[in-house]
Amino acid sequence: MATNPMHQFHVHRIGPEIKIGNFDISFTNASFFMVTSVLTILIFFYFGTKKRAIIPTKIQLIAELTYTFISKMISDTAGSKAKPYFAFIFSLFIFVLFCNMLGMLPYSFTVTSHIIVTFVLAIFIFIGVTIIGFLKHGLGYLKLFVPSGVPIILLPLIVIIEIISYLSRPVSLSVRLFANMMAGHTMLKVFGGFVVSLGLIGGWLPLSFSVALTGLEILVAFLQAYVFAILTCIYLNDALNLHH
Amino acid sequence: MEKPKDIAARLKIAKEKAKKYNQNNENQRSSSLGSAFKLSTEMVASVFVGATIGFILDNWFDSKPWLTILFFFIGVSAGILNVIRSAKKMQKNIEKL
Repeated sequence: MATNPMHQFHVHRIGPEIKIGNFDISFTNASFFMVTSVLTILIFFYFGTKKRAIIPTKIQLIAELTYTFISKMISDTAGSKAKPYFAFIFSLFIFVLFCNMLGMLPYSFTVTSHIIVTFVLAIFIFIGVTIIGFLKHGLGYLKLFVPSGVPIILLPLIVIIEIISYLSRPVSLSVRLFANMMAGHTMLKVFGGFVVSLGLIGGWLPLSFSVALTGLEILVAFLQAYVFAILTCIYLNDALNLHH
Repeated sequence: MEKPKDIAARLKIAKEKAKKYNQNNENQRSSSLGSAFKLSTEMVASVFVGATIGFILDNWFDSKPWLTILFFFIGVSAGILNVIRSAKKMQKNIEKL
């Protein structure tokens, strides 16, 4: 069981079984780590914004850096019109980042390594962005599917292609995060298994590999949260400023 | 040492340093890794979505393999379109710098 690299992704129940109708809504280790990451975020930003000193303490500095980082990212990719959505994108980034980073701790569970979690996040972004697009442009938002300067004969085919490429957004958004997290954690576990099975003599090589992989995984954990947030900004940009 | 004037001077130097650092570093390493992942998943996702739509339509119209095959290829072309588009966007971003 300990050598099975997929064992770390098992979801199991913590505490009593709760059922509503046919739905099992018991508290699992996945929900535990989601709650933990939300609590960590709250505690972190509580202490980060508590003092508001002119010369910031380290924790305040980190909190302010995250704030400017995200606000710069939004204004760079989606323009000033996207300012009202700052809170949403900021919470999204921080949540994904903390879920990824908490997953790097030994014995912990990576929430974002399950496709259903990332897919739900992505589908809500997709629906939200579509609604914003229709609210801002009305039916004119459908022009997104009709690029200008296309011959009439090709138009039906192009429209179908555009619709498929639009629908593929939540899939690519969620698969990217999920695949990166799952592949990375499986690889870490596989190399960890090599260390145990090769023992004192041959175990040093995989051990050094897994040290390097841990560093890489921390980079990936940050990068994927960043990519998730920046793609949300790009989709928002398409909905706010129609280009076609 | 901790007089406000001193801090203002130090801030100025630090800001200039940060500017230089950002220009050199930020937009290169991390985002190139990110865009590599972005391109590959975009391609795969469109093919997957296309094939799924074809499969659903096949179940509706009882035309078993044909619509899945057709929409698979439409999905492939949508994927290529997506990749070309994001590559163009990246090119623009590089030229801006």
